[in-house]
Amino acid sequence: MKSAAKKTECADEHTERSGDEVTKGKDFPEALEEQTITFQAIGVDDDLAPDGASGEDAQALAASEGADSDAVAGAPASQAQDEPEKPEEPATTDDATAAEGSDASETTSPATDEADDTDEPDSAEGSDGTKESQGTKESDATEGSDGAEGSDGAEGSDGAEGSDGAEGSDGAEGSDGAEGSDGAERTASAEDVPEVVAETPPDPPEESAHVRELPLPKPVSRALTAALSNLKNSVTGLRLGLDVPGVEDARKAQAEILAQLENYVIPRVHMSVAPALVVVVGSTGAGKSTLVNTLAAAKLSATGVRRPTTGTPVLACHPDDRDWFAKGEVLGGMIRVDRPGTDGTLDSLVLSSSERLPPGVALLDTPDIDSVVEAHHEVAHRMLDAADLWVFVTTAARYADAPSWSVLRRAKERGARLAIVLSRVPVRSRDVIDKHFARMLQEYGLGDVERFVINESTVTAGRLPEEEVAELRMWLTELSVDGQRREQAIQATLDGVMSSFRARVPALARHLEAQVAFRAELRTDVDAAYMAALAEIDEVTTNGSLLRGEVLARWQDFAGSGDLMRTLHMRRPGRLATKASQQAPARSRAFKHALRAALESVIVAAGQRAAEEVVTRWRQRDRAGDRLAATPGLGRPSEEFVRRVGRMVGAWQEHVVGLVRTGGVAKRSVAKLVSFDEESLSLVFMIGLLGYGSSEVAEASGTGTLPERLLRGVLGADSLRTIGTRARSDLRARISLLFDEETLRYVQVLDEAGIPDEAAAKRLYQATYNLEVAR
Amino acid sequence: MTVSGGRAGTMETRSDLGHRMAALAKVVELGPGRVDPALIAEAGRLLLRAGDRLKLSGEHTVVALAGGTGSGKSSLFNRVSGLELSPTGVRRPTTARPHACVWGIDGAGPLLDWLQIQWRHRFARASALDRGESQLHGLILLDLPDHDSIRAITDHEADRLIQIADVIVWVLDPQKYADAATHSKYVAELAGHEAVTVFALNQADRLAPEELAECVVDLSDLLKREGVQHPRIVPTSATTGRGVNSLKSVLAESVAGRRAAVQRLEADLDRVTARLTKVMPKAEAMMVQPTVDLARQEGLTDALSDAVGVPAVGEAMENVYGVRSLDWVGWPFARWASRLRPDPLSSLRIGNLRDEIKAVTAAKVSAQPAEVENAVHALADGLTSGMPEAWRDGVRDAARSQVSRLPEVLSGELSETAPRLDRVPGWWRLLKVWQYLLVALFAAGLAWAAAIVVYGVLKLGQPPADLLGDVSVLPWLGVMVVSVLGLGLLSAIASRNFVVLGAGKERDRLERDMRRRISIVSKDMVVKPVEQELQRYNEFFAALAAARR
Repeated sequence: MKSAAKKTECADEHTERSGDEVTKGKDFPEALEEQTITFQAIGVDDDLAPDGASGEDAQALAASEGADSDAVAGAPASQAQDEPEKPEEPATTDDATAAEGSDASETTSPATDEADDTDEPDSAEGSDGTKESQGTKESDATEGSDGAEGSDGAEGSDGAEGSDGAEGSDGAEGSDGAEGSDGAERTASAEDVPEVVAETPPDPPEESAHVRELPLPKPVSRALTAALSNLKNSVTGLRLGLDVPGVEDARKAQAEILAQLENYVIPRVHMSVAPALVVVVGSTGAGKSTLVNTLAAAKLSATGVRRPTTGTPVLACHPDDRDWFAKGEVLGGMIRVDRPGTDGTLDSLVLSSSERLPPGVALLDTPDIDSVVEAHHEVAHRMLDAADLWVFVTTAARYADAPSWSVLRRAKERGARLAIVLSRVPVRSRDVIDKHFARMLQEYGLGDVERFVINESTVTAGRLPEEEVAELRMWLTELSVDGQRREQAIQATLDGVMSSFRARVPALARHLEAQVAFRAELRTDVDAAYMAALAEIDEVTTNGSLLRGEVLARWQDFAGSGDLMRTLHMRRPGRLATKASQQAPARSRAFKHALRAALESVIVAAGQRAAEEVVTRWRQRDRAGDRLAATPGLGRPSEEFVRRVGRMVGAWQEHVVGLVRTGGVAKRSVAKLVSFDEESLSLVFMIGLLGYGSSEVAEASGTGTLPERLLRGVLGADSLRTIGTRARSDLRARISLLFDEETLRYVQVLDEAGIPDEAAAKRLYQATYNLEVAR
Repeated sequence: MTVSGGRAGTMETRSDLGHRMAALAKVVELGPGRVDPALIAEAGRLLLRAGDRLKLSGEHTVVALAGGTGSGKSSLFNRVSGLELSPTGVRRPTTARPHACVWGIDGAGPLLDWLQIQWRHRFARASALDRGESQLHGLILLDLPDHDSIRAITDHEADRLIQIADVIVWVLDPQKYADAATHSKYVAELAGHEAVTVFALNQADRLAPEELAECVVDLSDLLKREGVQHPRIVPTSATTGRGVNSLKSVLAESVAGRRAAVQRLEADLDRVTARLTKVMPKAEAMMVQPTVDLARQEGLTDALSDAVGVPAVGEAMENVYGVRSLDWVGWPFARWASRLRPDPLSSLRIGNLRDEIKAVTAAKVSAQPAEVENAVHALADGLTSGMPEAWRDGVRDAARSQVSRLPEVLSGELSETAPRLDRVPGWWRLLKVWQYLLVALFAAGLAWAAAIVVYGVLKLGQPPADLLGDVSVLPWLGVMVVSVLGLGLLSAIASRNFVVLGAGKERDRLERDMRRRISIVSKDMVVKPVEQELQRYNEFFAALAAARR
């Protein structure tokens, strides 16, 4: 069961990548969705119910996943079969992989083998497609998804669904899409495999201290590598843009996890018995360089009274191991140099060798962890991330320093193999200090850590007297000679680091979720503020408070000067009628203008308040919101806003005139007698719509307001109602559109700050789970 | 420097410091809501501390020995005091509580209380009796706990005393002299405090002379990089006693001057004001016009007038009066003629709307709230260009402080002055009577003419009076009837013109009056709060500049 589970993990990882391939290669719209579905099908015991995985799409996707997963799962399977038989012939494996890559029908053989194993012949039969190759694909799919089912019993129904999909006609399309990416994937694996194999020496020498690369059993290694690189990919892509509390820690954690994966875990998984890297870490002036020099019996690292002394890390190893470190898999990011640069570039690593060092064990002298040069701390921690064993050096004067204990805490968290050197101990008070320190360690839960005490003694040529380090040298030599013990030590650290991912990666994921949630909150703030503004406008335009100031005066002018009466005129040819239709156009224009200005100012004021509201709300959030709110110009409407509002209101007025003209065909009985001026009537309509209501001007008569009654008389109640509804909803729609544009500015600011990927947290959880399964 | 001279100098600097502190107090008073609260809080703490310290003994100088664990603070303390007062040891950390040694105990009690030194950790030296130590009289030497051990994470005693001691002696050692715990948190932060900071490179005996020299140079370079321009570095050795006398003489210098407390406070003040200054606007915006200039006030009045609709009210008045006067002063015949015209309203059977339409003019003047708000906003925005954001918000809030009440107040104020549009002046009534009189005359004339025609021309009967039958009167009568008609028309036209003329005049008066009232209201409710805020702005930055010196 376990191997099946591993295969699935591996397969899943490939599926995700193949999903990417597909997106790149073709325009495959489901690609994104596919990733999500994949996740659900695999089913980390997350509280994510597989409810979304229904419908044709989901089935097709599940099918494609299944098909894909198997096609890839076939590769390691065949290797797993080949490997034990002919371990000395990497060429065969090569051929096999190449054959798989070239011919799809070849893939069938291991797949059917496994189909037998998992006693699922039904679906293989069920999928008797017309095309043969298609058929095999589909059977593969079934098998693959079955593997998924095996890996986690809880999600059995999901796996079943996947196999359903494989039988369905949709499966063809799904597997088709997957096929394209398969090729790419297979070539990738073809590249991968020989590399690993080539590193295997034809006949591994036994009992030798020079065991360099003894790969883990292949499937395990592959699964682990896949899980790790999956984790790496998930961690790499994270963008933590919002300054929610703890973002600094999260960013640091992200960088650390990444560095550890790149510099240490991934290279180390390949070669578990490579030379052990012993990192010497400690405070400035604790004597790290002196210690390394003494052990190497050569002045490899500079010593002195200046603090901090060492700026560039120095790696000291046995000459035989030099090549391995020069190659640069461990600490890949550092440039290898022969001597420290003058300007102390922190990205380089001095590589030196000494015969006096035991082979298989390399010492790395690091910069300090607590000097004023803060860049040194970072380098030191990066070195620690790559360490197999930690040698922590402190002194009689420093053993209670806070930075020292933070390193010890980190070692404890990581589960790293640790040795502590208490240096510069005055001979007189050796016992007192040693006991005190031991007690402190005991209290801290590090009582059983190996501890070496070095007396305060004169340093000559950057070295201590040999007898001071004899004990430590013995310990190193033992590590060197006893390959098993070394491996144990290395494995312990590696396990510790990988176990630490169990807590650290989900912590990162949780932070990411917090970011996503926080962004959603900020977004809600924006929406709420603008919704409130919209409601306010609604309120103002219905309660009659618009009929004030200039609008009121113009309305009085319009009505009182008789223009309102002249809006209507008798439909009778003659002198009187034509005379009566003459209005003062200036007056109605002024009235229209006043209406427009009032409506504009209401909207502008609401927009202004909404902008301020957003900033206030953001400020009330913590630091991140505050920082975003400080973006200049957010506290006021955009420069374009006023002009846009003007245009919008103008357009709405035109729209209303149009409505009155087209929609408001007068009642037939009226039309015979009376004609009306549309422009003016639409003004009356607007004032009725916006200005009247419960304003003091409105009369509380049961028959309605003045404009309403007039219009009802002219247009009829039905069409008045229709026009009223349409005009109002049109106005609201226009305002919403305007506010949406305003809202966009905030969204932009949020986006610039970094959009946390909502699926990234899930990917992290899954990657952690995959890693756990693969181990 | 003689002692008396020193005193005089002290008094001078004290009063100078007092002025600056007063300015800082002003900054603290005016700052909240406009400046980062943390900064204001820090300034507030400094003020409190300065007040406390200056009240307490000026004869004493508090010198604190600070440093990392194991650097030898206690050993040096014992060496300087010449007694084993503070326990030393090899276990780290050793000292947990601060110890104090006083040279000249008189008056030091309250100061030690303020420093919160426990009684059992206070020691006194009767310095006058000591040989060669009279120059240390007035010294309070503190041995602090370390600030960098795991114990210090939870115990902030050292931190507290470092912040309040007059002089800090950083006890460093060759192993730890470049620790971030000392430099990043304290030395770099307190870089401006060099007058009250001494660096003792302890454990000098552990280094060879040339190593010591290198070490001192390195430390000095490091300190210069951190902003300490002229670091005072004294290599000492608590074990051998080397350099302790130099340290003592450096301390004696500080103690004798009696100025360290003031210097320390000055340095703290410099630091706080430097941080406050970061929020300062560009030099040209440091001082703003404390009053809202006339053009802007004018602009605000204009905008508010628009919000009330002053020009529109005037125009409406002119038009409405013109139209309404027709009912009163118009020629009745024309009115009757127009009534004969078909009425669309009554044909729509909504004839009663006519009264309502007339009633529209009964509404009072009022202000549009949204426009009022925008007007006030525009004023605030125009005034605050170049100000820091927080102050811009402040001015805006000040301008808007009464904006919710403003429309009502404006409406109330203006409806007092603005006439109702449905008002009927008395002379309209008189004219109406006159017009009807003319109509009656016209009717009478017509009747007379008819009577003459009947009795005089057609001779249909005996006229009741001679005049009714006198045909010769007829032409005169015709002239009279026509002239009565003409008189009616003329007086209608004339009075209409008077109405329009009067309305025009009224309009001018009205607009002037309304604007005047609006400007009074706006001055009271908008300009005044804004000016207060601008005043506050000026005062704040003036105080900050004064505190900066």
